[in-house]
Amino acid sequence: MTAGDPPRLRLQAVDVGYTYSGRTATQALETISLDVHDSEFLAVLGPVGCGKTTLLRIFAGFLRPTTGSVACDGSVVEGPGRERGYVLQEDAIFPWMTVRENVEFGLLARGVDAAARGATSREMIRLIGLSRFEEAYPKELSAGMSKMVEVVRVLATDPAILLLDEPFGALDAQTRARMQDELARLWERRRKTVLFVTHDAEEALYLADRIVVLSPRPGRVKADFRVDLPRPRSLEARFSPAFSALKRQIWEALG
Amino acid sequence: MKSVSTQRLVLGFASLLAMVLAYALVSNAGLFRPEVVPPAREIAVAFTELVVGTRPPPVTESDVHKGHHGHSSDHVGTLLQQGVTLQGSLAITGARVLIGLAAGVPLGVLLGVLMGWSRRADDYLHPIYVLLRSVPPLALITYVMLWLGHGEAHRLIPIVYAVAATLVIPAYHGVRDVAGTYVVAARSLGARPWLLIRKVVLPAAGPAILDGLRYAVAIAWMTAVGAEMLMSENGMGNLIVGGGLWASRTQTKADPAVVMVGIVALAAAGWAMDALARAATVRLTRWVR
Amino acid sequence: MPPKKNNFFLGPGLRTRAARAFLGVGALAVLYGIAAEIGRGRLPDRIWLGTHYVENVQLLPPYRSLLEETAFLLESGILLDSVAVSAGRVLLGFLLGGALGILLGIATGRAARAEYLADPWVTFFRFTPALALLPLFVLWFGYGEGSKVLLIAASVAVVTLLGAHQGVRSVPRVYLEAASALGASPGLAFRKIVLPAASPQIFASLRIGLGLAWVTIVVAELIDARMPSLGYLLTLAGAYPRVPTMVVGIATIGALVLAFDLLALAVHARATRWMRRTA
Repeated sequence: MTAGDPPRLRLQAVDVGYTYSGRTATQALETISLDVHDSEFLAVLGPVGCGKTTLLRIFAGFLRPTTGSVACDGSVVEGPGRERGYVLQEDAIFPWMTVRENVEFGLLARGVDAAARGATSREMIRLIGLSRFEEAYPKELSAGMSKMVEVVRVLATDPAILLLDEPFGALDAQTRARMQDELARLWERRRKTVLFVTHDAEEALYLADRIVVLSPRPGRVKADFRVDLPRPRSLEARFSPAFSALKRQIWEALG
Repeated sequence: MKSVSTQRLVLGFASLLAMVLAYALVSNAGLFRPEVVPPAREIAVAFTELVVGTRPPPVTESDVHKGHHGHSSDHVGTLLQQGVTLQGSLAITGARVLIGLAAGVPLGVLLGVLMGWSRRADDYLHPIYVLLRSVPPLALITYVMLWLGHGEAHRLIPIVYAVAATLVIPAYHGVRDVAGTYVVAARSLGARPWLLIRKVVLPAAGPAILDGLRYAVAIAWMTAVGAEMLMSENGMGNLIVGGGLWASRTQTKADPAVVMVGIVALAAAGWAMDALARAATVRLTRWVR
Repeated sequence: MPPKKNNFFLGPGLRTRAARAFLGVGALAVLYGIAAEIGRGRLPDRIWLGTHYVENVQLLPPYRSLLEETAFLLESGILLDSVAVSAGRVLLGFLLGGALGILLGIATGRAARAEYLADPWVTFFRFTPALALLPLFVLWFGYGEGSKVLLIAASVAVVTLLGAHQGVRSVPRVYLEAASALGASPGLAFRKIVLPAASPQIFASLRIGLGLAWVTIVVAELIDARMPSLGYLLTLAGAYPRVPTMVVGIATIGALVLAFDLLALAVHARATRWMRRTA
């Protein structure tokens, strides 16, 4: 692969639409076409109810689009797959397992033996600084810690693509900022392809290489632009003029 | 905190004590006919006789003068004639309850999990379930008897049926409502169905199922006693109703003292089993937030 | 167009689900019909009942027998009389027990001390199989309507007491605090906030109580079979024995239980409309 070639496509949505059936049919998405490139950190930004969770679920393989199609690495998405790690918006840490057992779960599913599982999980847990809580149950963790465990639980299986649905939505501002730093740090170590959904413009700017803005329901792509802020991004970056200029761009796009 | 629980214990105990004392007073005062409100003494006597298992001494003239009625020992007499004791009957009924639970719980949980897991199975099976559970289990007893003759089957089958029917709904809701999110997360992590069910669905639905289990225990006791009252020559139901063959059952006048003993024993046994189930639930759901 | 398969979270439409329901039940009905036909030649027709043989016992009566039996029972008025009597007992006992249980449950829910005092009594009744109480009730209230209705009332009362108690206890404190901050008197707060908040649980326990009432009445009538009643019908059918009668009887009971339950559900749904989000 020469320098001139465009980075390969990992995820592709072509004219995807989704309508929820029910007493009143609601159209969540309307002809969305989106390309996600290898090692790209893409943030999908939009107001509440614009269909971004629906889009992520479709990419994750849990919903089948009513129109259009979604492909991963060239083949049509038929269901969930190990190459697409998915962190839900809701609380999905398994409360009946310890932190370690949670992180090991994906490896257990793959048939990895106990020793190897232990080594990987220990390392992952160390990365987020929760070694003290390795044998604790989720009920002893705060919301932020819980979510980070979910993130490394997915990372432990080393998926090529990460789908994150507003993982830090339920956290307070300080914790959220800290978790964003953690995530950025983790991403720096192994450049995975990330599709990150959020309604927070600042979060999108801080973390992403590229931002796609969705319109309110039914969701359509309103804007798509690169974020060329230097990495690694620090606290100062949040206050730089380039950051503010981009933020203004986003707000205008959000309308 | 301590004052609340001690207050609870004290008041509860006081209430219990008051109940027992009041009963003893009222019943011994001779205000009611002994057939209706058996004197506490008779209850105690019946209890001892049924536990020890020996025949009561024959009624003598002096007994009758004292107001001790002869017919009240007919019931006990019939029972003792058949070798029935209180603890024996309790054990037999308890055994039936345990067998019924052992068979009914997996059946009900399996069905509930299946219906909660697969929309398709739910659509097909749910209406059938609703139809079947509307049939009171004990109504089946004579029908089963025609098929399988007079044996344990027609007593156990209603119990298994009742227990299974009771557990379907909690298992169903546990899987559908609780486990949903966890299943999505687990599937993205690559879990195959077998691992999914063992390590995700069942634990997630566990608390709901355990709650249902407690209710099923109470239902199992009720059905067991009912079945015994109808068609059994042993067990607590039989003890309460008076022994003898079922044809003559409605004729035998039950001794209220024996009935009281039976009720108290059943309440105690039911309470004990529930306490066990409660303890097990607490132990198994320590992780719940 | 991608093939239409089940989405994980949303299933197929209402029509498909209704169709499946009919298919499921229909398949069962057809299976029974087949089994009955197969059984006609094969199943034993004479049954030994401990003391004598009985002839012409149709263990799996074919649909024709069942229809004839139903026609007979309807025309002779036996079925309708029995249904009226049994359903009447259930309704009366249910209303009586339900009201009593709810009142007591609210009382114990409001005052902790009342709860502690009532605890042993409730526990005692809770773990006593209702049917064990039947002989006692018969002794106290005689052989007749009273003992059966009161037996049902007792079992329903225990269930609704627990439900009402839980419902009142679990009203979130925030509601009460908000109410008093707005200046509501305890009485007003109770009527307009506690009761509505507790009503879903109260209704749920009423529904369970209804099911329990039916189970109780059937067995009560089986044990003490007399007069027109569904239990008596079953006992008679068992005494001959006449299987078609048994089957029709059991089916009638099942249909009644189902009907009462669906009615309770409808009432429940109507009364808790505010609980479900419409979006």
